[in-house]
Amino acid sequence: MDYVVEMKEINMSFGNVHAVNDGEFTLERGEIHSLIGENGAGKSTLMKILNGIHRMDSGSIVINGEHFRHYNTKKAIQMGFGMVHQEFALVDELTVLENIILGFEPAKHGVIDFAKAREQINFYIREYGFDVNLDKRILDISVGEAQRVEILKTLYRGAEIIILDEPTAVLTPQETLNLFEILRQLKSKGVSIVFISHKLNEVMEISDRITIMRDGKYITTVKKDEITIPELANKMVGRDVTLACEKPPVHTGECVMSVQNVYVSSKRELSKIKNVSFDLFQGEILGIAGVDGNGQNELVEAIMGLREVEQGSILIKGQPMQNQSVLDIRNTGVAYIPDDRNTRGLNKKFSIMENLIANHLGKIPFSKYGILNKKNADDYSKDLVEKYDVRPRDPSLNVGNLSGGNAQKVVFAREIEADFDIFIAAQPTRGVDIGSIENIHKLINEIKLQGKSVLLVSAELEEIFALSDRIMVMYEGEIAGIVRAEDAEINRIGLLMTGGGTSAS
Amino acid sequence: MLHKNTYLNTIFSVAIAFLVGVVLILAIGQNPIEVYGELFKGAFKGSLNFGGTLEKFVPIFITAIAFYIASVVKLFNVGVEGQMYLGAVVSAWVGFSFVNLPGPLHMLLCFVCAIVVGGAWALISGILAVRLNVNEICTTILLNYVAILITSYLVNGPLSAKTGISTTPNVADSVILPWFMSPSRANTGLFIAIGIFVLFAWILSRTTFGYKLRSIGSNKEFSNYIGMKSDRLILTGMFLSGGIAAIAGAIQVLGVHHAFLNGFSSEIGFYGMLAALISKGNFKMLPVMSFLLALLRNGALNMQRFTGIEASLVDIIITVFILIASMDWILVLFRERKKVRVQ
Repeated sequence: MDYVVEMKEINMSFGNVHAVNDGEFTLERGEIHSLIGENGAGKSTLMKILNGIHRMDSGSIVINGEHFRHYNTKKAIQMGFGMVHQEFALVDELTVLENIILGFEPAKHGVIDFAKAREQINFYIREYGFDVNLDKRILDISVGEAQRVEILKTLYRGAEIIILDEPTAVLTPQETLNLFEILRQLKSKGVSIVFISHKLNEVMEISDRITIMRDGKYITTVKKDEITIPELANKMVGRDVTLACEKPPVHTGECVMSVQNVYVSSKRELSKIKNVSFDLFQGEILGIAGVDGNGQNELVEAIMGLREVEQGSILIKGQPMQNQSVLDIRNTGVAYIPDDRNTRGLNKKFSIMENLIANHLGKIPFSKYGILNKKNADDYSKDLVEKYDVRPRDPSLNVGNLSGGNAQKVVFAREIEADFDIFIAAQPTRGVDIGSIENIHKLINEIKLQGKSVLLVSAELEEIFALSDRIMVMYEGEIAGIVRAEDAEINRIGLLMTGGGTSAS
Repeated sequence: MLHKNTYLNTIFSVAIAFLVGVVLILAIGQNPIEVYGELFKGAFKGSLNFGGTLEKFVPIFITAIAFYIASVVKLFNVGVEGQMYLGAVVSAWVGFSFVNLPGPLHMLLCFVCAIVVGGAWALISGILAVRLNVNEICTTILLNYVAILITSYLVNGPLSAKTGISTTPNVADSVILPWFMSPSRANTGLFIAIGIFVLFAWILSRTTFGYKLRSIGSNKEFSNYIGMKSDRLILTGMFLSGGIAAIAGAIQVLGVHHAFLNGFSSEIGFYGMLAALISKGNFKMLPVMSFLLALLRNGALNMQRFTGIEASLVDIIITVFILIASMDWILVLFRERKKVRVQ
């Protein structure tokens, strides 16, 4: 078999961390090859080596039959590589067209030849079915569109091998479908694609072959048709994973939170949330489904006191708590996992210990008369790191050094250890590897079993279905429907999420 | 590891700055060894010279702490100079006015009034920044002029000693901070400075209040989400910053001049700010940097007195030092080299 790319015995270390340990990877022309593994398994590092971003310590790379050792990104572009990173490299103030040609502008008499560039890009747009407006500025387009711009950019630079680093992490389900359509088009024209992901269902949908990595090591490469999702998960994590955990029975009690006719504005528009009302009962998990950006975040922030409620009331245990301070709302018994753990959920400048005690700060045994008791805080965080399986088990480490899954465990540990009756979890498993997802789902079910209430916001329908007792769908800032989980069909929920169907209650 | 690097970086910067100095001294036809010898003699030799260095060290050190505290809550308090002036004039007024109070109480009152006025002055910029989003760098710079002109008006008008020079009457003997290294003017304000430093080192690392200040400064979003009252905490930080700067002024009055002299400072506050800036957020470096600046300034004055070499030469060395110290490139360069060699 002729490979476009053949990587063998690749090794690379960052300091003491052996990021890639005897890595292997092959790519055929015109295939979609998924590279999967948990956070920190070395997927991104391996691909960054291929892209000339990192230099490997040892190993061999053969590209189109030719041996290479070290090369830089410029050379990688010449060899036909293009990479779309998780964080886009686009200039907000420039238009889509300007961004695509940036650094590779066609010139005529020393002046940029925009007409020629436009013509060339339009060719790709027609050929592969892109939905992109070349004259909009980046700050006016959606995340999905920005990602298409990144792909166009690689094509414009002549890429024949495109590496996508967790491209669907930032996309809505519709945008994901759109992306897959483009990928299939690209594949049919002979472009090879590397798809880095840890979402197994997507991997099974799009790939021809799948390579699995774990702890920096190459595990195996398989054809898509020869493996199932549970087998993949097992190989990826190194043990059996049961995501479809049994749903504990519900024993709902009285209403602990009542949201009544609430209006909330978002950053950009007034009354982003319009007339939302619902009740949350003791001992249930209420799942809020919806495509990202339909007001779920604004709703949760309004409940937490982080966003102003324009109109309406929020009763927590019978007390009106709208527009109260976050501290007061927390003190009535609300814990909250924010959707953005990097800026809101954790202070990356602080150690694990300092993050863990943040909401217990003023209480004995952590402080007395305003003086911190460092020993008690250390002991406490050592226990928590153990209990919640945070790796590495060193609470004095900076939180910024943790992988996504472990960082999220710290957030959960802090919030669960607080005194609460209502637990709000927004996108609790976003960017978290599959082993940690299993853990987090267990934790959420345990909260319910203790007779406490959970408000779960997730863009992952599977997660909503796996955990919720009732499902509430939000669409454009309104409630499109509330359904009991046993009556819910995935198609119907999907329809409600996209604005189809009439509301049911 | 990181701390080791900071110290190394500092030593590097100092060394390079002095090398640049060597070139300059050679260029004006002098002997570098002799000049540096005089510089260090001027800073250290005998109680007059060494005391002079300590005297200059105290206000630079305290204003450096003041600037640092504001920077903990992410405010850039360029107004330490003005806050210091106000603290000075207030302590002078209290010091010569309430002479019937018992000594210790009188002295305490001098400091408390200075702190309140200096802190309140800083709070103006703080409130404008927090509530109306007005850039605090602009307002603190502008309020410096206002503050200094107010003190100038007071010392030439209502608070004047009416002796023909711009000064207030002398403060009561009981509130004077004694000199301990005669004939220099090094005074017990040094111990106040050390006290403030230790106190704030402790507050920042060991109290819930210090934790909250650091949290607000490093991640406001997180702090709001946890339930901290960030606006109030930021304003408290700014008040403390102004108050500490005012203490530096009070010490200049009670310990050095024994009255408020118009325009006494010769940019103490700016040197304090520089000391804080080149310490790059490392609280432990503040005394080191402040002392370095103090010894260079004092040594330079004495050097000029004895060798006739312009003290401005030292200003150049200081400037070069600051330029280099504020760059991270030296270490980055070394790190990159190492990496390449490993491969």
